[in-house]
Amino acid sequence: MEYVIEMNNITKVFGNFKALDDVTFKVKKGEVHALLGENGAGKSTLMSVLFGLYQAEKGSIKINEKSVKINNPNDASSLKIGMVHQHFKLVHNFTVLESIILGRETVNMGILKKDDARKKVIDLSKRYKLRIDPDAYISDITVGMQQRVEILKMLYSDSEILIFDEPTAVLTPQEIEELMKIMKELVNEGKSIVFISHKLNEIKEAADRCTVLRKGKYIGTVDVATTTKEQMSEMMVGRKINFNIDKNDIETGEAILEVKNLTVIAKNSKKNLVNNVSFEVKAGEILCIAGIDGNGQSELVYGITGLIPINEGQVLLKGKDITKESVRKKSLDGMSHIPEDRHKHGVILDFDLKQNAVLQTYFELRFQKNGFIKFNAVKEYAKKLIKQYDIRSPRDEDSTVRNMSGGNQQKLIVAREIDKDPNIVIAVQPTRGLDIGATEYIHKQLIAQRDQGKAVLLVSLELDEVMDVSDRILVIYEGEIVGDLAPKEITVEELGLYMAGSKRSDKYEKN
Amino acid sequence: MSTVYFLAQQTMYFAIPLLIVALGGMFSERSGIVNIALEGIMVVGAFFGIGFINIFQNTMSGQTLLLLAVLVAAAAGALFSLFHAFAAINLKANQTISGTALNMFAPAFAVYTARMIQGVQQVQFMDTFYIRSVPILGDIPVLGQMFFRNAYITTYIGFAIFLISWFIINNTRFGLRLRACGEHPQAADSVGINVYNIRYAGVIISGILAGIGGLTFVIPTSTNFNATVDGYGFLALAVLIFGQWRTQKILVAAFFFGIMKTFASAYSGIPFLKVLPISNEVYKMIPYIATLVVLTFSSKKSQAPRAEGIPYDKGSR
Amino acid sequence: MRRIKLLQYEGFTSFLSSLMAIVAGLLVGLIILLISNAEDAFPAFITILKGGFLDGTRGMAQVIYFAIPIIMTGLSVGFAFKTGLFNIGASGQFTLGAFVAIYIGIKWSFVPEQIHWLVALLGAMAAGAVWGSGPGILKAFFNVNEVITSIMMNYIGMYLVNMSIVKTVYDSLKNQTKPVLKSAILPKAGMDKLFNTGNVSIGIFIVIIAVIVIYIILQKTTFGYELKACGSNKEASKYAGINEKRSIILSMVIAGALSGLGGGLLYLSGSGKYIHVLDVLAPEGFSGISVALLGMSHPIGILLSGLFIAHLEVGGFNIQLYNFVPEVIDMIIAVIIYCGAFALLFKQIISRFIKKGTSEDIEEPQQAAKIPVAAESQVVNSETEENDTEQREDN
Repeated sequence: MEYVIEMNNITKVFGNFKALDDVTFKVKKGEVHALLGENGAGKSTLMSVLFGLYQAEKGSIKINEKSVKINNPNDASSLKIGMVHQHFKLVHNFTVLESIILGRETVNMGILKKDDARKKVIDLSKRYKLRIDPDAYISDITVGMQQRVEILKMLYSDSEILIFDEPTAVLTPQEIEELMKIMKELVNEGKSIVFISHKLNEIKEAADRCTVLRKGKYIGTVDVATTTKEQMSEMMVGRKINFNIDKNDIETGEAILEVKNLTVIAKNSKKNLVNNVSFEVKAGEILCIAGIDGNGQSELVYGITGLIPINEGQVLLKGKDITKESVRKKSLDGMSHIPEDRHKHGVILDFDLKQNAVLQTYFELRFQKNGFIKFNAVKEYAKKLIKQYDIRSPRDEDSTVRNMSGGNQQKLIVAREIDKDPNIVIAVQPTRGLDIGATEYIHKQLIAQRDQGKAVLLVSLELDEVMDVSDRILVIYEGEIVGDLAPKEITVEELGLYMAGSKRSDKYEKN
Repeated sequence: MSTVYFLAQQTMYFAIPLLIVALGGMFSERSGIVNIALEGIMVVGAFFGIGFINIFQNTMSGQTLLLLAVLVAAAAGALFSLFHAFAAINLKANQTISGTALNMFAPAFAVYTARMIQGVQQVQFMDTFYIRSVPILGDIPVLGQMFFRNAYITTYIGFAIFLISWFIINNTRFGLRLRACGEHPQAADSVGINVYNIRYAGVIISGILAGIGGLTFVIPTSTNFNATVDGYGFLALAVLIFGQWRTQKILVAAFFFGIMKTFASAYSGIPFLKVLPISNEVYKMIPYIATLVVLTFSSKKSQAPRAEGIPYDKGSR
Repeated sequence: MRRIKLLQYEGFTSFLSSLMAIVAGLLVGLIILLISNAEDAFPAFITILKGGFLDGTRGMAQVIYFAIPIIMTGLSVGFAFKTGLFNIGASGQFTLGAFVAIYIGIKWSFVPEQIHWLVALLGAMAAGAVWGSGPGILKAFFNVNEVITSIMMNYIGMYLVNMSIVKTVYDSLKNQTKPVLKSAILPKAGMDKLFNTGNVSIGIFIVIIAVIVIYIILQKTTFGYELKACGSNKEASKYAGINEKRSIILSMVIAGALSGLGGGLLYLSGSGKYIHVLDVLAPEGFSGISVALLGMSHPIGILLSGLFIAHLEVGGFNIQLYNFVPEVIDMIIAVIIYCGAFALLFKQIISRFIKKGTSEDIEEPQQAAKIPVAAESQVVNSETEENDTEQREDN
């Protein structure tokens, strides 16, 4: 049994927190080995130890049967270990070529020699069928191409062991297929691959074996072909998961939110980020806008909520034209927004919980008089939200939000927005980065709103979330709506085709 | 025509220090460290450089003395900038505060040391470096008069620094790595580049150049150093921002301000301006007002290094 | 557990950090004195520490006299800091305020005597407010870095005031402003008997009122809430419906008014202080930065640190007896500020220590704590905001 990677009894601690607790991980040469676990299970940490970004407090590593010490990425590199990170490590204003050679430049007395490098890169790109343009700037190329640049970085330094950290998070289903093919190609050439994921479908499709981690502990290693998704997910969470969300059918009412011919043009490129989009969200329905990151859904929501200006079109709330209203007025008219980026928009990290609880409402008469804050009222309100929505924090309403976990920060935002008793809730990627418990909770809240007759506009790229939570799906691709689908009537694969722009509903044919 | 030559020569005295210091700022900021201590480093460089001249001018003179003084100024600037580097990189401190502290320390130090040693705060020096006309080059018609007469060797050093900086940033491995550290340090770290070392280098280079810049500022315009560089360090920051952190634009920006400054102090040499009833103070204000106007129109689309000012923490992914 | 609880109070850790910075600064000062003149170093050092107390009530009055302008500029800088702006233009605002105060004090003899000084002070505030609004407006509407614009305004202000003095209230013999009318001088309200010197006025009470007002604005009002939100997270404030442009401009206007008032208080104190027509920026503006940083941008902290720095300055003045140069004080203060920069790191470590101990799940690593003196990445990063367009250029 030849193991190309052997990590034995690895323990990694951050302060008081044990990220990895006596974990053993072994990869055979030439296999595709998946590393499965929820967010926070320790998968990325384990690979970071392998890649030299962190050093384990206990345990040992063997590469190709030899004991090694990996103290930094350079050591990992010389052991022929390469890593494609979840968040690409690319410089936006470097060219593809510069990005690939960074750290491994060919030089003559310090002066860059780009021609030799260029040749090698083009050769590699042809050999592994990785299409790239060496002189394009990173900021101009697609996410799929960026990932290929990351892969080429590894191949350029002759990596034999390739680690992929959640590689499919930002790819279309078609790009994911391409990636699977590329991985097979790499394995054919004798490389060994580890890929980190929490997506059972992909693991089933691509991996030979799978190791499961839960809360920093090693749970087991299974042969993928002979293990069901249900078995793997049970190992992952420790309990049986109900894959179907309980949802009753509800009759929908009037249109609460109407969007008509909405267009948002990019400031400098004159490109239509949102292109003539129209739709409506009815009372008692969860409408989901599904699409791969970067197809205009962010700008669509920012335009509807007023965070960015709209070039053309109208937004109506319960029949009233709110297109030109300020962010605050829209909120007062009954629009709630759970933002995509909770640290950027949703909370002020340096404020405490109670100050964040009234972020949207501090100016109301119940919280201020003549410009002076009514501190007791604010405190009581925060306490109420904490109790009702089970928000956990170090010092309750006095906790600095920065010291709260992501899940609880999100719960606070959801609590605040829902407690406003809005007419419509706009939730963008509301469960991003959250564990199963928090995710279930937030889904429940959204469904509860819908059951009460509110309108919910959900924007998501998590296929499970899209299929299970929504009543109706609109697919957005390159700024346009390309499909209006009922989740009960389509398959995930079909949904993927729409998201990738390969299919369009008749209604939305391009003229 | 002689007015034009005079203006061109004067512009050099004002533009070159701005150019050198702004380029220094560029190296620091493009590696990811905001350095507003340029003013203070200039003072330190000028102080030690002029001090060196003051001590040795009885035994040496001319270009040799000046060149050695430049080295002294560079070294002093580099050492002083280490304080900022240490605070910003090792201790991950607030870079604006650290820079401000250095700016406060430098002039106080210069005054204190000068008065403790020689009793008065102005450090005098004799100008034995003035070049009336560069041999051969100074005789070229028009261009010779503009660039190679009534000059100092520091002018040419400045241009050399410009060319070298341009080359380093664009065509060397160090330049590529430096830029990566300023835009996306995690990317650099993940390929094994030592971000801390590169940033140290960036700050030290800014120290060297700001030190030289300080000396270059004082020499052509005065006969003593009075513990100040008149806000030139901050003007250099403006040049850096106006130049969008790119060498060629910085050159243009430096000369733009140099011309403004020249205008302000030399307008009395222009016959028709002298007669106008515009007070001297108005002319002095012009470079600063011009800066405001220019920045107003150029700040919308900034190309500032994305990771600058943010201390690099290995733990953050 | 008690220890952790105590450390969780922001105020306590801030105070501790400031204290450590002060000790470090003083130590460096002592070393400098020792290097210069070992013999007299210790006596001189003690003199510095004694500060105003060396001279009894007269010395204390002197400390208050020095403290008044720098507490005002400190409030100015600190207030701006809290809202995410670095007001390095306090000097210019101070000078404008001083000039207008003097001008009104000399030329506006038609104002009733009892309120002449009040009107002059109000004028000073207005002048400072106007001067502060410049960088505010440029930042709000054109995204120009307020550090650079403030510095430019400092110089423009200096030249403008010099020019105006020569044209209006000039004493050409001494190259300074003429004396103000008696009615414009701040009342003494019996303090001169209390402190046994003519060098006092009700200025200190005005300062204390300013401290209280700023404290109330920041901590108790919705306006303060909005300003702090903008200073801490611009995007979230937009999301919250806060008018960011309005906040920036108002913040700079108030900061300017505070510095301007400082100028007025100094030059109307009746202590024989005149504006000299020289190309020198008002040092009180820069001292304000030290005061704000040492006081952690908190109004009460600023009051105390202003008094402390003034105390040191008086001490520095006194060591000339030993033939030392007073600039050593500026060096001490610079070192204190320098150490203050990593005092904030100290707070960060404490905060991480708390978080590990109390929260259960840690999902994503959070960015390094944003430092309360938001000048850090905001100062120069304000330009990257509108960076959607990619314009790489060859360097």
